Amino acid sequence: MDINKLNRPNFWDAMPPLWNSDREDSLVCCQVRAETHDVKSFFFVTPDGSGFIFQPGQFITLELEINDEAINRCYTVSSSPARPHAISITVKRVPGGPVSNWLHDNLKVGDKVKVLQPAGEFTCAIHPANKYLFLSAGSGITPLMSMTRAHHDLCDDRDIVFIHSARTPDDIIFERELGLIAASQQNFKTRFICERLGQRRDWPGPTGMLSLAALKLMAPDFMEREIFVCGPAPYMKAVRNMLDEAGFERTHYHEESFSFETLQLETEQASTANGATPISSELAALTGFEITFQKSNRQIVCGPQQHVLEAARNAGVRLASSCAQGMCGTCKVKLISGSVDMQHKGGIRQREIDQGMVLLCCSKPLSNLVVDK
Amino acid sequence: MKVSKEIQALIAERLPGHSLDAPFYLNPEIFEMDIREIFGKHWIHVAVDPDIPEPGDYVTVEIGLNSIVVVRDDDMAVRAYHNVCRHRGARLCSEHKGSVGNLVCPYHQWTYNLSGELIYAEHMGEKFDRCKHSLKSVHVENLAGLIFICLAEQPPADFAVMREAMAPYLLPHGLQDCKIAKQVDLIEEGNWKLTMENNRECYHCATNHPELTASLFEFGFGYQTAPGNAEQIGEFNRLAAERCAEWERGGLPSAEIERLDELVSGFRTQRLPLDRAGESQTLDGKVACGMLLGQFERADLGGLSFWTQPNSWHHFMSDHIVSFSVLPLSAERTLVRTKWLVHKDAREGIDYQLDNLTAVWNATNDQDKRLVELSQQGARSSAYQPGPYSPFTEGLVEKFCTWYIGRLQAGLSAPETASVNVLRRMD
Repeated sequence: MDINKLNRPNFWDAMPPLWNSDREDSLVCCQVRAETHDVKSFFFVTPDGSGFIFQPGQFITLELEINDEAINRCYTVSSSPARPHAISITVKRVPGGPVSNWLHDNLKVGDKVKVLQPAGEFTCAIHPANKYLFLSAGSGITPLMSMTRAHHDLCDDRDIVFIHSARTPDDIIFERELGLIAASQQNFKTRFICERLGQRRDWPGPTGMLSLAALKLMAPDFMEREIFVCGPAPYMKAVRNMLDEAGFERTHYHEESFSFETLQLETEQASTANGATPISSELAALTGFEITFQKSNRQIVCGPQQHVLEAARNAGVRLASSCAQGMCGTCKVKLISGSVDMQHKGGIRQREIDQGMVLLCCSKPLSNLVVDK
Repeated sequence: MKVSKEIQALIAERLPGHSLDAPFYLNPEIFEMDIREIFGKHWIHVAVDPDIPEPGDYVTVEIGLNSIVVVRDDDMAVRAYHNVCRHRGARLCSEHKGSVGNLVCPYHQWTYNLSGELIYAEHMGEKFDRCKHSLKSVHVENLAGLIFICLAEQPPADFAVMREAMAPYLLPHGLQDCKIAKQVDLIEEGNWKLTMENNRECYHCATNHPELTASLFEFGFGYQTAPGNAEQIGEFNRLAAERCAEWERGGLPSAEIERLDELVSGFRTQRLPLDRAGESQTLDGKVACGMLLGQFERADLGGLSFWTQPNSWHHFMSDHIVSFSVLPLSAERTLVRTKWLVHKDAREGIDYQLDNLTAVWNATNDQDKRLVELSQQGARSSAYQPGPYSPFTEGLVEKFCTWYIGRLQAGLSAPETASVNVLRRMD
C-alpha cells in the first residue's frame, strides 16, 4: 500500500479517478480507529488510488468469507463523500454477531476486503430541505454522520438538529467530533440522550429513552423538518409511532436499517419482549414512560418492563431505598399522577396503596408518572 | 433476686393494714425492683384492640428501660416484640403509634415480617443466618380487646383464670368494635403505687370528685354505715341487688368477683348501678354516645368496673368505655394513660360530643393527680409514717399492697434465674 500518496508528485493536481467495483472489487484497509469500547471505524482505500463517489447516507456491501462461509453485509458509510480518497464504515460489536465480531477481531491495516459499490436511497442529497432532523440510535449514527460531515466539509451551514440515543455517555459514537462540528457550524445542533449514566456520573445530558416529549424539548420545530432516522428496528418503530402521534407528514420521513445482523437480532429481542402487546401500548413499550420527580425537579424515562427505582438509579436520581424487593418499604413515595404495576412483598399496606403510595423498587409504570419526591 | 438487707427488711416487716413505708414511694432501688419484679414478671395492660385495628398497626410502650412494640399481624392476631433491632440494637419504631408493612429498622433497613422473622438484611454475606436473628418476642394476651403483655420468660399461668371469669363480663360491650375517641397521657409526680392505691378506694370520692360522683355512688366500694348515711346506703344496696339480678337475667354478668390478692394475675370486677339517669359516667348520667356498644338495646346498664393488678382499671358502660393504664416512669413519676372508646361507627359531633364524653374523667384524673402528688409530697417528709387503712373503705387498697408485697416476697425467694441465664449465655 502506498502510504506516501500525500507526497507523490502531481497527487494534488487533480481529483482522483473514480473507483468502480466492477473493475476493482477489493479495497485495502488503511486504518482502524476505536471510537468507543465496542465500536470501531474501518477505513479503506483502493489499491490503485482511485477515489470514492457516493451520496452521504449510502451503504457499501462487504463480501466476506468467515469460517469458509461467504457472508455479505451492508454497512452505511460513515465518512464524508467530500473526502473522496478514503471511505469508512463504523461497526459496533453485536453479541453473537458473526460479522461485526469478525471485523473487530480480525480486520487489520493492509487486509483486502471485497466490496460492492455504494448504493441506497437513504440520503439527504435527494431530499433538499432548509431544516433537517437527524435521529439515530447506537451505530445507526453512521449514515447521519456521513451527512453531517458532508455538510460540514462543504461549509453548508444547514439548520440541522442531530439527536443521538446511546446506552450510556461512554457509548456515544463521534461525541467529540459532533461537538466540534456544532462549535464550528452556527446552525448545527447536536443532542444526546442516554438510557443511563454508566461510568460517567457527571454527564449533564438527559437520561432515558427518546420520547415525544423529549423530542419536543430538543427540537420544538421538528414538524417543519425533513427527518432522517437510523437505528435498531424497535427504535425506528418507536420514532415512527411518535411522529405519527404528532401527526408528522410521512413524505418528509426517511429511515434506514443500518446493519442486517443487528437489525435481525434486535427485532427478535423486541418481538420476544413484547409478545402480543397490543398496538396501543407498543409505543410506550418501545419508548418508555416519563417519570417526573416533582420535588427534586428531575425527569427520567422508564421502560415499561423496568422498575421505576432502577430507571431512577440508572439516571442518577438518588432515592432512599434498600431491599429493592418490595419488603422494607424504604422507597415508599406518594404517586401524584399515573399508574403502576406494583408487585410488592409486604412492604406496603393496602390502605397506603389506597392513599396513593407506591414502592418504586417493585413498580413498573403503566403510564407517565409524577412522583412526590 | 438481689436486694439489699434494708429493703428485704422493709418487705418482711411491712405492717399489714397500713400504707407502705416511705422508701416504697421514694427509693430508686425499690423502683428498679418494682420494674424487675412487678412490671417485668406480671401481665401488664398496655393497649386496647382499637389501638391497632388493622394489620400492620402498632403501638409502642416503655416499661422501665424496655420498649415493646405491640403489632397486629396479617392474620389479625396481636403480637409483641422487643422494639430492638437484632443488628446493633437500634429502636425499630420510634413513634408511639403507627402503621407498617414490615418492621424495618431505620438504621440499616433490617426488615422483619410481622411474625418477627428477619426477612431481609443487606451486605451480611453468604454465611449470615437470618433465622438466628428474629425479633425477641414478648408474651401477649388479648382479653376481650384488652391487651396485656408479659416480659417474663414464663408468664403467670393464671391469666387463664382471669380470662375465663372476665370474658363473659367484657365481651357484650364489644370493645373490639370500638374506636378510640380520645387518649390523654397524664404524668403524675408520684410513685405508681400511690396512683394505684388512690384508684382502689372511693373514700376520697365524695369530697374530691364532684363530676365523678354525679353518677357514681361512692358506696359501691365499701362504706362505713352511720346514722347519717344508713338510709342512702340501704337504698343503694337495694338498688344494686335489684339491678344486678335484672342485668343477670338479661345475660349480663354483674356480680362482684374479687380476687385481687389471691391470684398472681389478681383482678376484681363488678357491675354497679349509676346515679341520676343511670346510664353512663357523665355529668347528667345519660349516655354520652347515641350509638350503643355491642348488641345493647338499653342504655341503663350501670358501670362495669374491671381492675387488674398491677396497673389497670376500666369502666365499661352501655355507650362507652374508659380504659386506664398506669406505667411507672421513675420512683416519683408515673404515666396515667386514659382512653375513651365509643362504637367505631359513632360520629364525633353527631353521635357524641367529645367534651361531654371526656368531661367526668378529665376532671377526675386532674383531681386524682393532685391527690397522688400530695401523697408523694407527704411521703418525702421526715414525719411520714405508715398510717392505717379504713377497714370499711380501704380494704381494696390493702389488697393491692398485700398483693404487691407478696409478689416481691415471691420474687425474693425465687431462684436466681436471671443471673443463671446470663452465665449460660456467656458459655
